[in-house]
Order: sequence, then structure tokens, then C-alpha cells
Amino acid sequence: MNDVMNDPVRGEPLLKVERLRKSFGTHEVLRGIDVAVMRGDVTCIVGPSGSGKSTLLRCLNYLERPTGGAIFLNGEPVGVRWKGERLYEMSFNELARQRQRMGMVFQGFHLFPHKTVLENVIEAPVLVKRVARAAAVEEAMVLLERVGMKQRASYYPAQLSGGQQQRAAIARSLAMKPDVMLFDEPTSALDPQLVGEVLAVMRQLADDGMTMVVVTHEMGFARDVADHLIFMDGGVVVEEGRPADVLTRPQHDRTRAFLARVLAA
Amino acid sequence: MSEKPFSRPSIHDVKPIAVPKIGHWIGGVVLAILALVLVQVLVTNKNMQWGVVAAHMFSPAILAGLGMTLLLTALAMVLGLAIGVLLAIMRLSASSVFQAVSWGWIWFFRGVPPLVQMIFWYNLALLLPEISLGIPFGGPKLVSWNTNELINPFSAAIMGLAFTESAYAAEMIRAGIQAVNAGQTEAAATLGMTRGQTLRRIVLPQALRIVIPPIGNDTISMLKFTSLVSVLALPDLLYSAQMIYARTYQTVPLLLVATIWYLVLTTILTAVEHAIEHRLKSEDRAGSGKRAGFLPFRLFARQQEAL
Repeated sequence: MNDVMNDPVRGEPLLKVERLRKSFGTHEVLRGIDVAVMRGDVTCIVGPSGSGKSTLLRCLNYLERPTGGAIFLNGEPVGVRWKGERLYEMSFNELARQRQRMGMVFQGFHLFPHKTVLENVIEAPVLVKRVARAAAVEEAMVLLERVGMKQRASYYPAQLSGGQQQRAAIARSLAMKPDVMLFDEPTSALDPQLVGEVLAVMRQLADDGMTMVVVTHEMGFARDVADHLIFMDGGVVVEEGRPADVLTRPQHDRTRAFLARVLAA
Repeated sequence: MSEKPFSRPSIHDVKPIAVPKIGHWIGGVVLAILALVLVQVLVTNKNMQWGVVAAHMFSPAILAGLGMTLLLTALAMVLGLAIGVLLAIMRLSASSVFQAVSWGWIWFFRGVPPLVQMIFWYNLALLLPEISLGIPFGGPKLVSWNTNELINPFSAAIMGLAFTESAYAAEMIRAGIQAVNAGQTEAAATLGMTRGQTLRRIVLPQALRIVIPPIGNDTISMLKFTSLVSVLALPDLLYSAQMIYARTYQTVPLLLVATIWYLVLTTILTAVEHAIEHRLKSEDRAGSGKRAGFLPFRLFARQQEAL
């Protein structure tokens, strides 16, 4: 455990989660999670639905406010700040500054429907980072080319397939030059024949060295691309490690049962 | 008695004879006659005095009244919508004080008829002889005005109309904002946008597209509601006509002048509203790339960018 948290070769983890808890009312969804994400690694989180994996991801950038525990990005606490000996909650706008460093891709894409693909991509850099429009457009076109959407730059989201929308959404997140990209079941809302094009973009992103945390049901992607695989069930991390180890030699019955179910399907 | 042999054509060569629509024929004839009678009354009735109507149609007093009606409509709508957006945001705020104030405002101004309000605002000096800015509860006053100097028929009319509109607009805009997918706000948050940026750039533009048709409807209603200001002796279209017939006793022709102008204006506004709705619908269908021409929306977006 300790050598995962403090790898002497690779240094401090980029993203560290300590004793994270989250309840909705009396329902405890996360029951103390410890996770470390190393810079440049792809971490896949798998598990049955209701296991809390999406909630965990949404807590990382404070879309959900954790009930307990702490999150560190580059060693800096997320959502709270020290002032002397006292710990203060961050205001929404302070949080906004921290969120810029964590891109997020949603299951439902959530492109801005009243803006073209290009406008979607340049919106945040121009508005939040005050990048000059011409420079933002230039960078956006490079990103759109990377995700294979350059030809569709002037289209509105409603004119695109789900796969195209998701690739545009990935470009939109990348435009803020985040330290880490969070993917919340990015292919679950897609028709089966469109899943491949999105996974291909994500593979390429991983090859380019982007730090990624991916909640997914795509076991093939997890096996081939992930550096680290986390299996969650019932709001706890049941098992984690290298994908090859977890998938082929699971140590826990719950992992074995889950794998038997998803790999049979 | 013997039956003649038929020589029917093939069923494929003939068209069946349509079912006779006797009701349509009878009803149509009756209604056409009634319409003709109405036209005849309008044209031949001497009391209509079409000559007088024509003479006053473009008279300076009537045109000035027309201008006042348009000014009142435009100002009341702009102010009403601005306050309405604010109220809608307060209504959706997490603070219960904001919610309650917004609720109270909407409850009051939707419940009190605009005519009653206008008369009340006009007589505000009876309630508050002086309006001042300063520390409340007996503290020092920084600036103060004589209420009678602030309140004139025009300001009283604008308040009555705009406050009523704000209450209705608030409810529409709130519904519009709530109709925008929650994922939009989350996506904006993950891109590092502040609350204000998200509201201005992402949520409001989408919400306003949803509420443009009902706002068009409200504008047409507002145009007609402005005729209430005649009770404050504010020379709008109706009151200008009234002033003339009070002098000349040509009541009917001058009311006709006002009626015709109101119809002309509502017809134009309806046409504009239809054009905008059509534009929105075809955009939604095609998501057409040619949106730059959609003036009201673009103007609004630009305004937002400037904020």
C-alpha cells in the first residue's frame, strides 16, 4: 500500500484520495476510499452499478461535496484551503479555479447545444482563461483534429452522432489543458458501433501521456490501456492493482463474481 | 319493372363521388350572408363617419399618441423582463430570503390589477410624501426627494405595467431556466466557469430561447394593456382619441381610429412573433449553421458578452 502512495521513482501521486466518505441522506455511498493516481497513469474504476464509482469520480472535482475525507491534487487539498490553523470551505468561484485543472467527460456528453463544436471548445479558454479568440480557435482546431472532428467544427451538437458529440466533448475538456481527465462512463450512452471511435480517441490520449481516471464498463479498454485497475463494490475499494493481475488472478470472491458476470456477457 | 342491365365501367377507371358536405354548404351560406350584412353596416352606416376616420388617421395628435403607446409597450417590456430575470434567479437561489422576497413580489404584482396599481402609484405621495436614501429606522438621510416630483403619469404607468409584467415574466423565465438540463451547469462547472459565467453564457441563452414565444405573446398583451394609462390622462393612442372626441363629439370614428391602429400594431407584432418562432423551430430541426441573422437573440447574446 505504502509504495503505491509514495513511489520513490515516480514521486508523489498527482491525485490522492484519503478516507473519502459520501452519504446521500442516510444512504452511505462511499465508505472510506483511499486511492492514488500517478502522473501519466490511466486508472480504470470498474464495479457493479450502485457500487459508488461514479460518485467517487464526481467527488474528485467536487461536483458532489464529500461528507468526509480529503482529496489532494498536486498535494493541494481540493475544495478546502488552510488559513493559518483553520480549514475553510472554498467558495464556488475558488472551486472553479481548481476545477479547471480537472477535465471531465460525461456519459451524456453535455455539449452546449446553442453553440457550434468550435464555439464549445473555445468557450472556456476565452471566457475563463482570457485567451485571445484567434489563439483559442487555433488551439481548438488542433484539438479537433486530434479527436477527428476538424471537419465538423462548424456543426451544432444536434447535427452530430453520439460518438461525434463525445469526441467533441473530449476536445472541449482538453482545451483547458487539465492536469487530469476524468471520464464518467464515456461510452455507456452510445450505440455499440460508435463505442470504438471514442475509445480510440481515449487510447491515443493515454499514449500521449495524459493522466486519466476512467469509470467504465469496457473491460477490454481497462485490460489494454489501464496502468492501474480499481474494483469497487458497496462503496469500498475491494481490490486494486495491475489490470492483468486483477483480471486474471482476482483475490476476492466479489471480484471473481463480478468478472464472471461481465466477461460472460 | 324489369331491371335494366348495368353497364358499369371498371372500378379502376372511375373516381368515387365525394360524400356531400351539406352542413358546410348551409353553414357557409348563412355565415357569408351575416358577413355581408356586417360589411354593409360598416360601410353604409352614417354614424361610422369614415370621412372623419380618414381625416384623423394620421393626424399629429393621434400619431403622437401612437408613439406614446409604443414607448410604453417597449419600456414596460424591457423593464419587466429585466426585473423578471432577476426575480427568476432569486426564486431559484439557495437562500430562503431571496426566495421569499421573489415569491412575495410575484404574489403581489400578479394579484393586483395593473389599473389599480397605476392609480395607486400615481397617488403614492399620499402614503409616502418623501422618498429618501439613508440609514433606515430613523438614521440620517443622504438624499431625499419629494414624491410628487418623482411620480408623474408616465412613471406611474411604467411602474404599473412593468411590475405586472415582471411577475409574469419571472414565472416564465424560471420555467425556462429549469428546463435547461442540469448537465449543462455541471459541464460548465468542470470547465472552471463561475456561477455568473455559467448563468450568462450557458443557462440564460438556452432558457431565453425556450421563453421567446411566450414573451412575444406578452408583448402583444402589453400593447393592449397600455390603453389603461388613459385613466392617468397620459396621452397614449386611446387617450389622444378620447381628447379629440371630447371636443368634437365624434366618438365612434375616433374610437375606430384607435381600433384600427391597435389592430395594425398587433398584426405586425403577431407576424414578427410567427417569424421568430418559425426561425427557432427550423433552427432546432436543422441546427442550421446560419444563425447570425437571428437578430433579437444575437443582440441579447452580445449584450450578455458585454456584461
